[in-house]
Amino acid sequence: MNLYDCKILLVDDEKALRDMVSGFLRRAGFHKVTVAANCLEAEELFALKEPHLVLLDVMLPDGDGFSLLKKLRQMSEVPVIFLSARDEDASRLRGLGLGADDYITKPFLPEELILRVTAVLKRVYRVKSMQETEILTLGRCTVDLGSGVVRWTGDKENSAAEEIALTAKEYAILQKLAQERGRIVTIDALCDAVWQEENFGYENTLVVHIRRLREKIEEDPSHPKYLLTVRGLGYRLV
Amino acid sequence: MRNDKAERMNYNYRRAARFLSYWVVAVLGIAGLTLVLNMVFLFASSVVYVNTDTQYIYGGSVMEALTLTQNGYVLDREMEEELARKDQWAMLLDENGRVIWSARKPEELEDEYSRSDIARMSKWYLKGYPVQMRVWDDRIMIVGMQKETMWKYPIEFTIPWMTFVERTILAFLFINLAWIVVFAFVFAKRFTRKREQARIEWIAGISHDIRTPLSVVMGYADTLEHSEGLSVEARQQAAVIRHQSMVMKELIADLNLTSQLEYSMQALRKEKVRPAEIIRGVAVSFLNDSLPGELEIDMRIEPDAEQLCINADRQLFVRIFRNLINNSIKHSGKSGSVEIRISMWQEKKKCQIHLEDNGVGYSEEVLCRLRSRKKEQAGENIRGLQIVKKIILAHGGKIRFGNGEEGGGYCTMTLRCGRK
Repeated sequence: MNLYDCKILLVDDEKALRDMVSGFLRRAGFHKVTVAANCLEAEELFALKEPHLVLLDVMLPDGDGFSLLKKLRQMSEVPVIFLSARDEDASRLRGLGLGADDYITKPFLPEELILRVTAVLKRVYRVKSMQETEILTLGRCTVDLGSGVVRWTGDKENSAAEEIALTAKEYAILQKLAQERGRIVTIDALCDAVWQEENFGYENTLVVHIRRLREKIEEDPSHPKYLLTVRGLGYRLV
Repeated sequence: MRNDKAERMNYNYRRAARFLSYWVVAVLGIAGLTLVLNMVFLFASSVVYVNTDTQYIYGGSVMEALTLTQNGYVLDREMEEELARKDQWAMLLDENGRVIWSARKPEELEDEYSRSDIARMSKWYLKGYPVQMRVWDDRIMIVGMQKETMWKYPIEFTIPWMTFVERTILAFLFINLAWIVVFAFVFAKRFTRKREQARIEWIAGISHDIRTPLSVVMGYADTLEHSEGLSVEARQQAAVIRHQSMVMKELIADLNLTSQLEYSMQALRKEKVRPAEIIRGVAVSFLNDSLPGELEIDMRIEPDAEQLCINADRQLFVRIFRNLINNSIKHSGKSGSVEIRISMWQEKKKCQIHLEDNGVGYSEEVLCRLRSRKKEQAGENIRGLQIVKKIILAHGGKIRFGNGEEGGGYCTMTLRCGRK
């Protein structure tokens, strides 16, 4: 399915905001945007249109977004992004564990909205936009992020091409770094990606995995060119 | 240091003081009200009493008005009229119980009384007539009224009973007093809460209502800024609108946060957080958004401080470091890179975090205001730092601002911690 064919339902009681957001979404390429002004309308339209994503305001004239989400959850697992105008909502959303996919605090910039919508849609429906590549190129070495295989193209000294498989943990680390390529990723975020929850105390183990990963992807693992250490903070893939 | 402590005490007890003042007012108010009500009631009843009761004549006054002459006893004319007016009668008995003088005596009454008659009438009634007696040498003066005009009962109690009653009354008084105090306590608590809650909600409501229109302003300004059809000047103006909207967004968030920190400790959503993780996350987000060479952050977290945990509100903690780093960037003073050194270590079961920059440092005025207990005065905008201070204080920590030897400003935070 094409990312831009996804149907989006926008629920907000403020007409100006509704118009603006639906305008942004359309301009970004999402041409199937439906709008609702209250819970009742939202429920009707939800049943009618079966959207792929719901953008939900927390405060609605005939109820709040949280209870509407609970109702929607009984019917489907559709991803939901909250638009909240209160600081406290963020913590409430986390605390309640209602299964919202993301939240955006008002006021927001159009880019932020589009980025988050796209990210959620990609994650949930595994749709790929055109420019996203599965192959990571690091000099002479390429990593297939689909299969987790490192391929070395031959050069003058070592003519044979080589294939090395990554372990699950190395793969998780590399994938996280590739997602944020060019940006620093903290030690904590990497631990999160590799060991999920309860990951404290793994910093030293992480160092070991990074070293092994460098041995596989760097030409000179003791003087890395691509997987760089940012002392005290984390790592960066350039 | 002393100043610091005093400040924290001041912060923690300001609420208590406010509550106490409400409480005292309530106690005084309720006690005063009770007093006034009692006074009004007493006054009203005494007025009614005075109006209903007619003074009546006692034996003594009749006796004084009576003189013995050769023709027997003679009553003053005045007293005679008085007796008539009040519809009373009187008689004098000698030692044998015989009536030797009388005035307006009802006809049904006899002229001689036995000892038992006298004993009975002294306590109760004489054939239904209420009477009063006064002993005069060996004679007895009896002053009576008409039937059904006087309530008369002899009252006697044992001494222990009376002591008991006395104590009970005293106890009741104390119970009442205690009740007033407790009631006032509850009342004052409610009132304090309500007032604080109302204030927080008011501010939260306003900031909520501003955010939605601000979203629209920001959104369209951003669109105009990026629209190809407009002149460069118009697009720059749109950029200014967008930027200023962002400033407003920050202001609203600050206002909301300040009000919550000021008035309610319940606003904190405490959980176990690792400061090491938070500091790294914030530092990295600043580094990722900066141009190369613009910002340098030197992070030194002692290995044994790595796993330290504190009980804190995660969002607010992120806020602390965002504000501090932002402040360092804003006041770097020099061109070239901003260097920030952050270190964290454990000392006597406390988590110490130190942040130092290479900027111009804090001015005397700013340091003074950060230490002062007074409400915010006008001057350079240090709202960000004030919020940092408030968050740390709300978490029961200590914070100190100062200038390093090489000129940059520093900030040291001390927090209670545990281990994960």
